[in-house]
Amino acid sequence: MIGRESALALLDRALGYSKAQETDIYFSAQDLGLSRFAGGAIHQNVAHNDIVLNIRSVAGKRLGRATTNDLSDTGVQKAVESAHRNALLMPEDPAFGGLPEPSGPARVDSWDEATARCSPESRARIVRGVCLQGKEHDLNVSGACRTGVLEIAVVSSRGVRAYHAGTFAGLIINTMSGTSAGWAKGGSWRLSDLDTEVLGREAVSKAVDGQNPVAIEPGRYPVVLDTYAVDDILEALSLYGMGAQAVQEGRSWMNDFVGVESAQGVQAMSPSVTIWDDGSASHGWPVPFDAEGVPRKRVDIIIEGVVNTPVHNSYTAGKEGTVSTGHQAYFTGGPIASNLFMQEGDSSLEQLIGSTERGLYVTRFFYTRMAHTKGCVMTGMTRDGTFMIENGQITHPVKDLRFTQSYVEALAGVEHVGRESKLILNEVGFATRVPALKLSSFNFTGVTV
Amino acid sequence: MAMDDLVTRAMDLAAVKGAAYSDVRLVETNQERFVVRTGVVDTLSNDESQGIGVRVLVNGSWGFASTNILSPDEVDRITSLAVEIAQAAAQSSNGPVSLGPPVTSRGVYTTPIQIDPFSVSSEYKLRLLLEADRRMGSVKGISARTGNLIFIKEHKTFANSEGAQVEQTIYEAGGGIMATARGGGEVQRRSYPQSMRQQGCAGWEFVAAMDLAGNAERTATEAVALLSADHCPSGVTTLIVGASQLGLQVHESCGHAIELDRVLGSEAAYAGTSFLTTDKLNNFQYGSEQINITADSVRLPGLGSYGWDDEGVPAQSTPVVQNGRFVGYLTSRETATGLSLPSNGSMRASSWNRIPLIRMNNVSLEPGGWKLDDLIADTDDGILMEMNRSWSIDDRRFNFQFGTEVGYEIKKGKLGKLLRNCTYTGITPEFWNACDAVCNEDSWTMWGIPNCGKGQPGQIGHTGHGAAPARFRNVQVGVMK
Repeated sequence: MIGRESALALLDRALGYSKAQETDIYFSAQDLGLSRFAGGAIHQNVAHNDIVLNIRSVAGKRLGRATTNDLSDTGVQKAVESAHRNALLMPEDPAFGGLPEPSGPARVDSWDEATARCSPESRARIVRGVCLQGKEHDLNVSGACRTGVLEIAVVSSRGVRAYHAGTFAGLIINTMSGTSAGWAKGGSWRLSDLDTEVLGREAVSKAVDGQNPVAIEPGRYPVVLDTYAVDDILEALSLYGMGAQAVQEGRSWMNDFVGVESAQGVQAMSPSVTIWDDGSASHGWPVPFDAEGVPRKRVDIIIEGVVNTPVHNSYTAGKEGTVSTGHQAYFTGGPIASNLFMQEGDSSLEQLIGSTERGLYVTRFFYTRMAHTKGCVMTGMTRDGTFMIENGQITHPVKDLRFTQSYVEALAGVEHVGRESKLILNEVGFATRVPALKLSSFNFTGVTV
Repeated sequence: MAMDDLVTRAMDLAAVKGAAYSDVRLVETNQERFVVRTGVVDTLSNDESQGIGVRVLVNGSWGFASTNILSPDEVDRITSLAVEIAQAAAQSSNGPVSLGPPVTSRGVYTTPIQIDPFSVSSEYKLRLLLEADRRMGSVKGISARTGNLIFIKEHKTFANSEGAQVEQTIYEAGGGIMATARGGGEVQRRSYPQSMRQQGCAGWEFVAAMDLAGNAERTATEAVALLSADHCPSGVTTLIVGASQLGLQVHESCGHAIELDRVLGSEAAYAGTSFLTTDKLNNFQYGSEQINITADSVRLPGLGSYGWDDEGVPAQSTPVVQNGRFVGYLTSRETATGLSLPSNGSMRASSWNRIPLIRMNNVSLEPGGWKLDDLIADTDDGILMEMNRSWSIDDRRFNFQFGTEVGYEIKKGKLGKLLRNCTYTGITPEFWNACDAVCNEDSWTMWGIPNCGKGQPGQIGHTGHGAAPARFRNVQVGVMK
């Protein structure tokens, strides 16, 4: 970690090399420590730190880019010149409206000193504790424990000047018996938020309860989806269509609901579904501004089942005559909703299961991919704990199933929403806070061996 | 301080601090990226990354640390950190790591190329993409179009405490176009040469041979035609899988399944394990007698081609499936030693700041004896599917489902109606055992997959997969509803 003063000084030095009409530089740095374990022991144990300067150079309606992690004067100057040269090579883009204007300080608190200072020994202690929990039940335990620091900063010739440092912590636990598996995942910007013993118990209980699963016929079943499965739904809906670039190019599931005048206000999902993105909420994984230095605004994406709006970066916003919502998550690519929340309901998990006469309790999805844009049809597997519900009770584990299901249609069938939400922090900086859901129907199209 | 001196310094310090083994990778990567989206140049970027990674074995456990700062002080810091990390890992260990015989490789390797892709001007590359974009845009009904080019030059020095020291320069070149059509409540796409892009260890000549502009109008026309094509029927039928799609099928259902670290459980918490457990080696009928699969790191322009892996083990070729029988894994020094085998040089790291993992190199289905036209003529009733659109497989690599961009009905030995939203699904060994014909080298292509995810922290691997079209009986198709 180099800190605010050094980061901004580095960016000022880089900006000083620019001869371009406009320039902005996005600084991204990570100090990561990660202990990976399998078979009850740590087998991969790593640390890395990297600082990358992402440079955008403007020449009229042209934007060139370059990145470097060579922070020497020569390295930085070369990258700045390369971005400028690239801009001059580009054809004009009439839709390019220039770099974003400064829009005031955006700050959130997501720094925890204990997390930043977490040592390899501390991570090893966590791993040992979790592995002992599994060992008591003769389970093979694997997973990863990570802690670290993320620093981002943006400085531009237009006056943008932003810096943020945050911490992160995550624990993934996989437990396996000869016939079953369990899983648990915790994440936060504070290591102390992770109750590692509770997470261990969660992973252990799924593997213990899931032993000797029974194969069932594929088909449509009502389902109770636990939070990890709901996280997958939100992540897919985000990646495949909550960004304005996808909508503007007509390849988003949202295209059936937004931008088509006659369709505005159409009920796409159940009225109990409300989804928003908020990078400033401290109960998520807060990151105050995006890769353009624009503050991340709260965006209400789905309001009571009605599609409201996608998220924007400065380019997509400019095309529609609006302003960026601060969702340029990475240096390249379109805007992404990466701090998603789903409104909680009033049911406990037990009530969700109790409301199901015959259906499935799915704890997690795996390897999900979009099969068709329209409706965001996804295919994937259940994994690490899938159970039959009969007469409101979990009766037995079932073998993993393949599904092929429109996620939009799935959320149209939400009957009940869990009252507790869980923060799911993914490795690449994508976070959701979601409740469990009871859906009227989910389409299972195959079963595995 | 010279770069080689940094490498030596790290190994010397590691030894002083108690490392029984150390290796050091010093990597410098240059990359050019070009993206055009619907008439606009979205990205023209030059990206440079450099850094050093130190891996040590202390008290029988691994530690790894890395940095982008190439200074003596920083190298000392990360070497000490790697030792500290290994000592922590040793407190939670299942026993000391054994690497087998020492690796003492020496030499220099450079990807053989005809034209250095970095010597071709950015203006020319942009003109190529913009012309392909213009031609796709000339087709009525296209709503969005993309094109991309990528060129990579990676210079890597590897040394270990056993005496190995190798230097490699790996070139990669790739490109592709995609047209999206929207209309009548439907969205369809077509790509060329394959989904996302085709990529190989090669020079500019690899991209020039694609003729992106020359194939742009046809690609776009097919996307529009798909809007009104019949839906793929549901049922069990004979399936001919095209070469590009079959390359991905090999990747997902064979390539990952033969990674010995997965088999032994190292990836269980993330990507999963494998059904090809060690008791099945030389003792399992993976596929029909038509199926011969090879893993190699020497078959250019395969994207998994190199001189030595990231443990310094020389590039080589390994039979994986012979006449349908499962005979080989992808291995590292550590995992191979556990099976009393030598490593076959399959350890690669995606960057200086990642540890090497077992990664696919070029895992290829060897050509069979059929001409594609003859195979179609020999098929009374079935479907031909080609070009991946979606992919998913379970955590043991059994149950898969793929979607393809395009399909064609086959009736009485002739290609018939165009089909949209094609999908097929199956169980890996059942599927490969149902293969009764593989096409010959006339239609065999080495495909590149530049987006293979594995590991925590995540690593993106680049892999090659040669394949020709092949026929499979009794396959479940049309799983969209």
